[in-house]
Amino acid sequence: MNQAGNTEALLAPPGTIPRELQNFSDANSGQPTIPPSIGSEVQWNIHRVDNGSVQAGFPPNSIYNYQTHTQLHSSEGMNGSTAASSSTLAPSTVPQDYSAYSTHQNSTAYGYGTTGYTSYYSSYQQQTSHSYSQPIPAYPNTGHPYQPLSSFQNTGSYAAPANYSSTYYNPGDYQTSAGYPTTNYSSQTSSQWNEGNYVNYSSYQYSNYAATSMGAYGSASTPAAPLHYQPQHPQYYGQSNTEVTCAPGTENLSASATTKLDCPTPEVTGVTWDYSATSQPQQTSAVSWRPEVTSFQPLQQPTTMINGAQDGHWNYGASGFTNHQSSAGKPEAYQPFDTTSVYASFQEHQKSVASGTQGNNLEYHTVHQVPQTNQFPSTFKDSQSLDSRRVSKFQIQTNPRIVSNLGLGFVKTEKAGSGASTTTKPAYVSVSLPNPSDKVLSNDASHSALKSGTFPKSLRGYVERALARCKNDAELAACQAVMKEIITSATADSTLYTRDWDTEPLFPLPSVDEANKVAQHPVSVPTFRRSPTRRAKSRWEPLQMEKPQDRLAHVGVPAVKSGGWKKANKREKKSLGVDSESTGDRVDSIKLSNMEQNVAMSQRPFKRQRIADKPTMMENGNASSDSDKEQSLSSYYSTASSLANTPEERKRRENRSKRFDKGQGNRTEFYHHHKTKDAGVENLYTRRATAMVMTKKLDNRGSESVEDMDWDALTVKGTCQEIEKRYLRLTSAPDPATVRPEDVLEKALAMVQISQKNYLYKCDQLKSIRQDLTVQRIRNGLTVKVYETHARLALEYGDLSEYNQCQSQLKTLYAEGIVGCHMEFSAYSLLCVILLSNNYRDLLSLMSRLPSDAKEDEAVKHALAVRAAVTSGNYIMFFKLYKKAPNLNSYLMDLYVDKMRYKAVCCMSKSYRPNIPVSYISQVLGFSCASSAIDENEGKEKDGLEECVEWLKAHGACLVTDNNGGMQFDAKASSSSLYIPEPEDAVAHGDANLAVDDFLARVSS
Amino acid sequence: MAYLSMGEAHRRITEYLNSFSESVFSQDAASLKLLLCFSSNSPSLLSVADSLNLFQDANRLIKQSDKYSQFGEIIVHLFRSLQNYRLGHSFDAYNAYEKAANAFIQEFRNWDSAWALEALYVVAYEIRILAERADRELASSGKPPEKLKGAGSFLMKVFGVLAGKGPKRVGALYVTCQLFKIYFKLGTVHLCRSVIRSIEAVRIFDFEEFPKRDKVTYMYYTGRLEVFNENFPAADHKLSYALTHCNPHSEANIRMILKYLIPVKLSLGILPQDWLLEKYNLVEYRNVVLALKSGDLRLLRAALDEHEDRFLRSGVYLVLEKLELQVYQRLLKKIYIIQKQKDPSKAHQIKLEVIIKALKWLEIDMDSDEVECIVVILIHKNLVKGYFAHKSKVVVLSKQDPFPKLNGKPVGS
Repeated sequence: MNQAGNTEALLAPPGTIPRELQNFSDANSGQPTIPPSIGSEVQWNIHRVDNGSVQAGFPPNSIYNYQTHTQLHSSEGMNGSTAASSSTLAPSTVPQDYSAYSTHQNSTAYGYGTTGYTSYYSSYQQQTSHSYSQPIPAYPNTGHPYQPLSSFQNTGSYAAPANYSSTYYNPGDYQTSAGYPTTNYSSQTSSQWNEGNYVNYSSYQYSNYAATSMGAYGSASTPAAPLHYQPQHPQYYGQSNTEVTCAPGTENLSASATTKLDCPTPEVTGVTWDYSATSQPQQTSAVSWRPEVTSFQPLQQPTTMINGAQDGHWNYGASGFTNHQSSAGKPEAYQPFDTTSVYASFQEHQKSVASGTQGNNLEYHTVHQVPQTNQFPSTFKDSQSLDSRRVSKFQIQTNPRIVSNLGLGFVKTEKAGSGASTTTKPAYVSVSLPNPSDKVLSNDASHSALKSGTFPKSLRGYVERALARCKNDAELAACQAVMKEIITSATADSTLYTRDWDTEPLFPLPSVDEANKVAQHPVSVPTFRRSPTRRAKSRWEPLQMEKPQDRLAHVGVPAVKSGGWKKANKREKKSLGVDSESTGDRVDSIKLSNMEQNVAMSQRPFKRQRIADKPTMMENGNASSDSDKEQSLSSYYSTASSLANTPEERKRRENRSKRFDKGQGNRTEFYHHHKTKDAGVENLYTRRATAMVMTKKLDNRGSESVEDMDWDALTVKGTCQEIEKRYLRLTSAPDPATVRPEDVLEKALAMVQISQKNYLYKCDQLKSIRQDLTVQRIRNGLTVKVYETHARLALEYGDLSEYNQCQSQLKTLYAEGIVGCHMEFSAYSLLCVILLSNNYRDLLSLMSRLPSDAKEDEAVKHALAVRAAVTSGNYIMFFKLYKKAPNLNSYLMDLYVDKMRYKAVCCMSKSYRPNIPVSYISQVLGFSCASSAIDENEGKEKDGLEECVEWLKAHGACLVTDNNGGMQFDAKASSSSLYIPEPEDAVAHGDANLAVDDFLARVSS
Repeated sequence: MAYLSMGEAHRRITEYLNSFSESVFSQDAASLKLLLCFSSNSPSLLSVADSLNLFQDANRLIKQSDKYSQFGEIIVHLFRSLQNYRLGHSFDAYNAYEKAANAFIQEFRNWDSAWALEALYVVAYEIRILAERADRELASSGKPPEKLKGAGSFLMKVFGVLAGKGPKRVGALYVTCQLFKIYFKLGTVHLCRSVIRSIEAVRIFDFEEFPKRDKVTYMYYTGRLEVFNENFPAADHKLSYALTHCNPHSEANIRMILKYLIPVKLSLGILPQDWLLEKYNLVEYRNVVLALKSGDLRLLRAALDEHEDRFLRSGVYLVLEKLELQVYQRLLKKIYIIQKQKDPSKAHQIKLEVIIKALKWLEIDMDSDEVECIVVILIHKNLVKGYFAHKSKVVVLSKQDPFPKLNGKPVGS
């Protein structure tokens, strides 16, 4: 039971992840569940092909089986959906998926090659990317699981053991992760519900499983295997029992869910069987591999609800299997799978840290087994042997699940395309889904969501580099805008994924990247450990932080290509999806970079598989048909991919990815900051050290609330002598070396005040001055001056949000008794309330709080007069005040001028009869100067008049020309035709200053 | 008091405990509320407080008997609060009282009937009063006063207990009114909205079934809110409701209502009798009313100036300021009447310069554009019927009812 305890503890962590991810899944609304299915579907296609080739003579049987299965599955699917809902992970999404699934089955089951099928694929294609991403998150901790696989492969006489082992044992990954899995797990273990779900599955399946396993073993004639198996089961069983008590109601549901899972497994077995039939030494090894992989698949399917598809697979597999059995060579195939050695290694792993993951796997296996027993016994006697294999495989599979991460690594390293490796990918995907069933689903969904929105890693890197170049906010923003353009255009012509962003012109910083790579890797571990505490605070952040890092740890180490890696780390924090994709890219960076990533992910494994399978097929004489099918498949994929790239989908992905942009932005800045800091330092170790410190700080910040911080201890005394400094939002404790002391800040302020550069530059500089003041806790006349300067500049430029920040700071500063232009700014705040918020209560409280001497102040008096004019609608007064506004009052009034004019014209149109001269309107509404100035400013007057006419026309006024040729405003006609035109520069987000074009224009000016 | 013996202290504490548990068991809210109402400063409570300060081990007494210990959570904190209250430690008294109140709410939730509503009212009231005192104490020691805010969130919790269906809902309005008082005091009036919604939108309880006292308070505060929103007809309705249902003997309350109702009525064109202002000491409105009657703009401005602080604080300044237009209307009407007496045929044409001259007499210096603008606004707002001829600078009045009365409708409707 010790193991059991361990496993539980270990298992818990995955569950925790899903919870967080649930947010994502919710957001995606059901899509997430689908994605996993894609992976399975893809597999399914492949299988189909294989089956077809192999089974050539048995079409009727296969079809028949398939149909029945589909029906069963549909019912099962229903159950499963209910189960999912009961589990409470992602109830809403799951049921939907199921329904979709069932319909799918119907169409697909009968006509594989039909168009309906393709459509089905297309609908699911989007999800493919998701499915891929899923595995990664689930497996972050799986450094250990890897081992089992390796051992397994070796035992099974794997074709390319050397490669595998090397990848597997890659020092980076393994070492880093060594202590890591345990710690992570333990820390994360908080979720009881995960266990509960898990338990349900295991309990149900288990009974079936025991029976099946026994039978299977007997038939398989591999005595050793059963023995191993049984010992494990008891343990699991015990777990399941205890856990079941926790969630009694869910048992039935879980059982149904498990049945679903089972369906997929059969498919896998069929595949393996085919291999065995070919019965070549290498093949056997491949078979062993596949079972593992397949085990993953089954898991996926349940989550995806694509059981129907799986069923189809299963049937095929079964039929094929039977054939093969008859052909002979089965025993050989069996042995590799059952091989006790593998099993033993597996068990050992379980005992070790990996045991946690194994527990998950085992559960899954059990689930799978149950379905097998149901279906197989009736149709195939031999199937029992298959079941036994499956059982064993499943267990192994559980490892793969852990390995799923490894699987990625494998794929990368083993481009050789060993069948095993290819299979691993899919298996990997599936695995991630299954064990959580409920939880995992949510996880997967979230992951998928993330991934869906993700861009190629290389693109991310490209963007990052571009942004890193920016020296200030303005540039940054401009850069972002440009990048957005580039990306949208790239998506538009669908070169987003095909373009090689890494080599795209902008800024190659390869050396730095690589250095970072190494340094960053270690970082991931500490953050990971901390994640649990952070989670308590916010579900959102931990996700971002954790998963990428985990993945990095796993994938990154094995990954030979450093460039992509490092980038991933940086971004990492941004979104999991990206990382997963990026990892995938790394793996086949060469080949796959050209393919659309979503599809690419799914395709790759299959293609390889096909290649690997070919030899065996050839032997059977089915090679030709197989190749044909391959072609059709590839066409399938292409359509699928194109579908996946529909504009809507792209947009959705973009949006999703954007959700993480904020966090990313900060992070990137942070990293960038560091880079610049260490610019000269190429020492890897220093880098690592700083990175570690940084992460620690980050973690601390995450786990500590703001109130807990000792601000006194953090107050720094700046030593920086640079007058000019870019503003970067601090993400860590300030470094005195980059903070300017007060005297330097004074110079900086003076520099800004006389600077001829544009507002964006000044704003950036002032923000950095403000930041330095804040971190040094300087609150004196200089502070007030800085804020006043900034507020004025913001007013002039029309940057209200920045102005408001300054204004609120000034309010407290003035309240502290620091002398400044208090009156001027109380006038501004009065005007702000009057003209912008129009909130009477605020206005009243402001007015009642004005000190008595304030009313003597010119600016305040003016502001109060403006208020009176506005409340009474006295436009004459308003524009008189507008013309003699002190300070910057007129800039604030500018914001109200249009409204006031419209009100005035409305008023005029109702009250005047018959006409009013436009010249009068132009004069009283501030278009042109007062009549006294006409002589001097004849030209100006005309301009004002023209402007007035234009404005009136734009607002629907009726103008007539009188006898003298003067323009008259026809009041009566206008009274019904006035309207407020849509502002021409309107932007969706309401701030014209942020409009991209305008923004770029200003930046360049 | 000084010679309070230990035995006497023990006796008083036990007595308190006895009456507490007995009142709960007999569901006697009237006696229970006496035990909770600190601010009444009743001698019996004060003596218990003294006893507690003398006899430090009251907790042991509570634990002695099941009868008391089942209310231990309430009474322990209540005692600590009472002690601090007696010693003048408002902050500690509030904190302890809030804990006791929390425990009391828990109990209250479990009681099926609403028998303890009266006691709950006392708790809600006490919590607000204690919070105000605690804030005063905090402010005087330079700390941010935040207890009233805390009391607000506590009362929201209480509101949640009461607002559902069932017999306890009757008490919801009382808590709402306490919340209003807190929010108005804190200036976080926007928080009222959710409470109002739950009181008014839910149709499971007829508003008229609430206690009259609470209805009046509720209407008073919501009426004030409507004044802020410049929704005068609604404000008029609510404040009038409050006025008619208010206890005629509580003149202070009537004055408070009138303080808002008068400006609202004024802006609807309804002027109060002078005796009313006299009786309820609302003389600050007298000149405003006079200005409205005579069209004396100068008088209005002077009255606003004179009481600006008061009007700003009560929040009616802007309402009164808007009366200017009505004063202008009155002025025009006067001119019209005078012209009519002179020459009825041309009375409906008022030259702009006449108006300017009239304003000059009032020592208000405005140029012709401004006055023209005012007239245009008057026409626009339907205070004057007619039109303005720009070329000849003449207001041409409608021959029929050139100065329509508001008659309870807001300006500009």
